[in-house]
Amino acid sequence: MAGPSKLDALLDRLRATLGAAHVLTGADRSPFVIEGRTPDVVVFPGSADDVVAVVQQAGAAGIPVLPWGGGTAAAVGPAPSRGGVVLGLKRLARVVEHEPGDLTVTAEAGLTLDALQSALRARGQWLSLDPPDAARATLGGLIAANASGPRRHLYGTVRDLLIGVTVVTADGTVVHGGGKVVKNVAGYDLPKLFVGSYGTLGIVVSATFKLRPLPEDERLVAVTFERLKDCGAAARTVLAGDLIPTAIEILDAAAGAPLGLGGVSLVVGFDGLREQVEAQASALAALAASLGGRQATTLAPAAWARLAAAAREAFASPAAVMSLSVLPTTVSDMMEQGMEAARRRGLASAWAAHAGVGAVTAALAAEREASTVAAVLAEWRAMARAAGGHATLVWAPLAVKSEVPVWDDAGAAGRIMQRIKAQLDPNNVLNPGRFIAGI
Amino acid sequence: MATLTADRKSALRRELESIVGRGGVLSEPDELLVYESDGLTLFRALADFVVFPTCVEHVAALVRVAQREALPFVARGAGTGLSGGCLPAEGGLVISLMRMNRVLEVDYDNQFAVVEPGLVNLHLSWAVGPQGFYYAPDPSSQQACTIGGNIANNSGGPHTLKYGVTVNHVLGLEVVMPDGEIVWLGGKTRDGLGYDLAGVFVGSEGTFGIATKIVVRILRKPQAVKTVLAVFDQIAQASAAVSAIIARGLVPAAVEMIDQLTIQAVEDAFGCGYPRDAAAALLIEVDGLREGLDAQADRIVAACRESGAREVRTAADEAERQLLWKGRKSAFGAYGRISPAYMVMDGVIPRTKLPYVLERVNEIVTAHGLRVGNVFHAGDGNLHPNILYDPRKPGEEARVVAAGAEIMKVCAEVGGSISGEHGIGLEKSDFMPFIFSAADLAFMQRLKTAFNPTGLCNPGKVFPTKKSCGETGPVAYRPHPIEERGLAQRF
Repeated sequence: MAGPSKLDALLDRLRATLGAAHVLTGADRSPFVIEGRTPDVVVFPGSADDVVAVVQQAGAAGIPVLPWGGGTAAAVGPAPSRGGVVLGLKRLARVVEHEPGDLTVTAEAGLTLDALQSALRARGQWLSLDPPDAARATLGGLIAANASGPRRHLYGTVRDLLIGVTVVTADGTVVHGGGKVVKNVAGYDLPKLFVGSYGTLGIVVSATFKLRPLPEDERLVAVTFERLKDCGAAARTVLAGDLIPTAIEILDAAAGAPLGLGGVSLVVGFDGLREQVEAQASALAALAASLGGRQATTLAPAAWARLAAAAREAFASPAAVMSLSVLPTTVSDMMEQGMEAARRRGLASAWAAHAGVGAVTAALAAEREASTVAAVLAEWRAMARAAGGHATLVWAPLAVKSEVPVWDDAGAAGRIMQRIKAQLDPNNVLNPGRFIAGI
Repeated sequence: MATLTADRKSALRRELESIVGRGGVLSEPDELLVYESDGLTLFRALADFVVFPTCVEHVAALVRVAQREALPFVARGAGTGLSGGCLPAEGGLVISLMRMNRVLEVDYDNQFAVVEPGLVNLHLSWAVGPQGFYYAPDPSSQQACTIGGNIANNSGGPHTLKYGVTVNHVLGLEVVMPDGEIVWLGGKTRDGLGYDLAGVFVGSEGTFGIATKIVVRILRKPQAVKTVLAVFDQIAQASAAVSAIIARGLVPAAVEMIDQLTIQAVEDAFGCGYPRDAAAALLIEVDGLREGLDAQADRIVAACRESGAREVRTAADEAERQLLWKGRKSAFGAYGRISPAYMVMDGVIPRTKLPYVLERVNEIVTAHGLRVGNVFHAGDGNLHPNILYDPRKPGEEARVVAAGAEIMKVCAEVGGSISGEHGIGLEKSDFMPFIFSAADLAFMQRLKTAFNPTGLCNPGKVFPTKKSCGETGPVAYRPHPIEERGLAQRF
């Protein structure tokens, strides 16, 4: 908490700049509590210039700034060490420029992904990112949190699609990186720097993305298996074959239940011309049957949106959610071992994976004492590390976070990250203490 | 930069030899000359030493010596770069990675390979080809350029339209940092940890450190490929066809444009079957599943015809496909038939600005009394105007440079970029203000300082050096010393 007089002076300045309606104090701050910590103030700047003013004013007062998009990833990371200024971007929500012939779009950071997609869809295009919570997730937030979904298998993640950014830096300067053309090697690749940086290096105020034409047809095919082992083998066979799926997902029975899947499931997506989708769906059904899969079924299009959060949503209130990044061939083994590790301590777990890219998410059910939950999570992380990967504790109560670090050990690279932070935000204004390596 | 005394130089030579062995150090002037420029011969600079490490420990030790002596150092691959990016500062060390050229590991199930930086790009595709895999980024110099050099420049190529550039295929890097520390950035898994250091390192033009191991994705070869040649009587029709293809929701693997002057040069040199009287040709490729590929090719053919193509033909077999691609990939060499020298420009524009910009390029070059050939990646708006000139004619080189600067300004004005794949290097460092503000550049400079605090790792690149952007850096033509001695000639 900032000293009262300093904070009062800052509040006056913020109200003068933004108008009192866009400066929230008192109980109005409650939706913006981050990991138990109530911010000193919540502000909604209406332009990039406003963002500059807020950062400069907060910086001068020595009060940290915590950028906020849709709040979908606000719980990722340790609790902030102090309140600070939550800087909400919801008023920066315009599509700035969409030229369909260029297959690019520039939009402000506070625009939700859903809103962007519907604007693009009207002109036959889409941004090929499908993270969970697209109705709330904003463009700035999905850059900061490097959010992704099942179609990343074919279309990649934010780093593959983001071609330009405008950011307000820690000292309140507007900086542009990249551009609005799809191929560009002029200068350092600043867009990459901001992907997954969780608001610690700058506040993205607008972004330019590569787009794709909407496919003529799309389909999601599910096959259930008796055993996870066989499901994993089927996923690997798809990966090694000629099919070009947009998604290869493995869900255990718990994660698949809310989608109406009865058992361990392989869910594979296809898009393209109608005949391509048709041929691939048939080929998949035949392949799965030969590997012990039951009848292939086509899922409703609404299932796509639920895949990305399938493990997390398996339980009404999970005890913890962890994401593991491993080699694709180890996914089903990892799921089996992880389930067993939880079971040994009397906990149920739910598992879902973007199997073709080795991105696994696991949720723990049932409230137990923090130490038991922490023990399972530590074991999961050790498993991922032993397989050459790593793990992030995406969500957990603070009592668990105090026993298991949110972020994995970044090793020697962590020191480079600290040097970058020190160069770009020397006074530690932006989201301090919430990221990897103590950043 | 103080020149090394002869004593100091010979002591250093002994020390460098103690690291990489006696056969791994060059310091004689005639040996060093080979390394005084890259593919852009307008710029030249001599190092004190060229050294050839064979392992990461060598590289780290060399970097530590350079730091101790306050000598600038720069990594070098095959030297095929086109922006002067791997030139030494006057003096210092060139660290050639050409003896670190192994494929260390291939994991076909997880679809990645670990390679050394000196590996030639195409050799990776050869190594994994028998298992049905390839490495997607395919710069036109892929028969010679190295993966390490591709990392420095974030190289592209014709097929990046569908498959992305180098950075989209790099998972991790082992890097010798400018202070000599050996660090892994990223790794073998798809998602990294913390900041995307591997992503930021790619395209940093050798100013963030030296990559010594590289984890790249390898892709399954597509089931089938179809290549279409569309011939136009007007360049504007070819440009319109590019837009028409995109508007139909098609994402071809490649859409390349070749103009008349280039077609004629290629036909003179190689006879690849392009019609000599065409104003422009588009080489379009679709790949993927066998199913549906004909339908995609049909849509492309229709888009070209509607845009006014006078002839559209689909390669009947692999031999014809290779011949058509040979025309495209050999275009640069073919200019040698019609001009003593040429300068390759590299700019990017929004695709929809293609007709306007091509016309402006032609006007600019004509106004300078020069000729231009265009062969480029039309699908992603990456232009390569090649300005033909004779370096022996006084003043001609200066006009080429002036025309190049004007072309870059046009690219910037229409919302484009001053480099799509060749990098900024020395050539375009003074053009950076065309597209970046002082604040943008200052931010990049701070990022550089985080990696390279002493600035000794590849100094003088990327950032502008002069206050005025109208002046440009390259020296006027002077005969290369090996020309003067009659050992080589320009043609």
